[in-house]
Amino acid sequence: MNYGRELLKGNTDSLLLCLISREPTYGYQIVKELQKRSNGYFQFKEGTLYPALHRLERDNLITGKWQILPNGLQRRYYYITERGQQVLAKRLATWQDFSTAVKAVIQPETT
Amino acid sequence: MVSSISHYLHRFKASLKIDHTIRDGVAAELYAHLEDKSRELEENGLSKEEASKIAVQSLGSPELIAEQIYETHAQGSWKEAIFSALPHLLVALLFTSYYWQNIVYASIILALTVGIAIYGWHQGKPIWFFPWLGYYFMPVVVSGILLLSLPQGWGWIAALIYIPLVLFVFIYIMRQTARRDWLYASLMLAPMLVTFAWFSSLGRGNELLASDWAARLQTNALWIVISFIALAAATIAFIRLKPRRYKIISLLIPPLVVLFAVITASGGNICSWSWLLLLFSLSAFAIPLWMQARAYE
Repeated sequence: MNYGRELLKGNTDSLLLCLISREPTYGYQIVKELQKRSNGYFQFKEGTLYPALHRLERDNLITGKWQILPNGLQRRYYYITERGQQVLAKRLATWQDFSTAVKAVIQPETT
Repeated sequence: MVSSISHYLHRFKASLKIDHTIRDGVAAELYAHLEDKSRELEENGLSKEEASKIAVQSLGSPELIAEQIYETHAQGSWKEAIFSALPHLLVALLFTSYYWQNIVYASIILALTVGIAIYGWHQGKPIWFFPWLGYYFMPVVVSGILLLSLPQGWGWIAALIYIPLVLFVFIYIMRQTARRDWLYASLMLAPMLVTFAWFSSLGRGNELLASDWAARLQTNALWIVISFIALAAATIAFIRLKPRRYKIISLLIPPLVVLFAVITASGGNICSWSWLLLLFSLSAFAIPLWMQARAYE
């Protein structure tokens, strides 16, 4: 089992919600943004993004809308919903607590 | 569209058995993704063909994406599950007492079934609609049988017009349903097949329908109720389960329950025509599933 991959799998929804909450965006842009912000750490089969987006949309955390770009191409932009913002706020708070606790445990004790 | 991209999208669409509007929407999103990725790779110096091949590889297996998208959209809510099972439970209710012999109760349930089936049709055929549609066909089939009893040859003339017309409409609806998903065709056929299976138990000797059929039907009421409750439970499981293979398994349980119930209730004492009808009805459960398996080949 790849521990890093498992961690990513468990947190994909939160990462997506976080990116979408910053600005409405579409699939390919999300992949690029995740790679850019993580300095290439998050590498995954790009196709797995779409089931995750549709799952979030089904749970009413985000909503998708087709929009025409200035170059005439159509892309499906995702927007965070009010419920999505509430869920994200809760998850971020939990993550902060968890991260603080993990750091406190693993860092060497100072005497 | 470059061939590797169109081939990829074709594989994706062929693997995803859901409402075509959802399927086409996701395919359009994947196409947009491939378009962006290919353009970026081309800007980095790759040929159009190479760029689209790498773009397709970076998305991963289209069958896997289709499976995950299916699991997202295929699970109905509890409300949908209960509403889908409701017609089976109503029929079970008819047999828990002598209600099935009461023309008022039977007519109310018939009118309700027809009304809800028509409503579902106009609502874009949601998943709960298919079991209701199965019952909607029941009076159509019964009317065909009754036509045969019209006096002096009129029955056959009427049947010659009526039966081909009904078959035409039935095949048309089956094809429409199967195009969306073969499993929905199973959901639609199930109540008819259970009814035919029980009809097969009403014969005796060489008679397809024994003279005391009504009394026998009432004697077997408990087993009939069990059959329809099994169908209701399988329908709920079908709607609520996510993986497609579990949905398929859930649809194979009712015919086994019905076979056991019919044989137990009749003590195996049914005519050869009835055996034929019984086995045909139960094996027909497997036809849409078999078609589904062929689609995967």
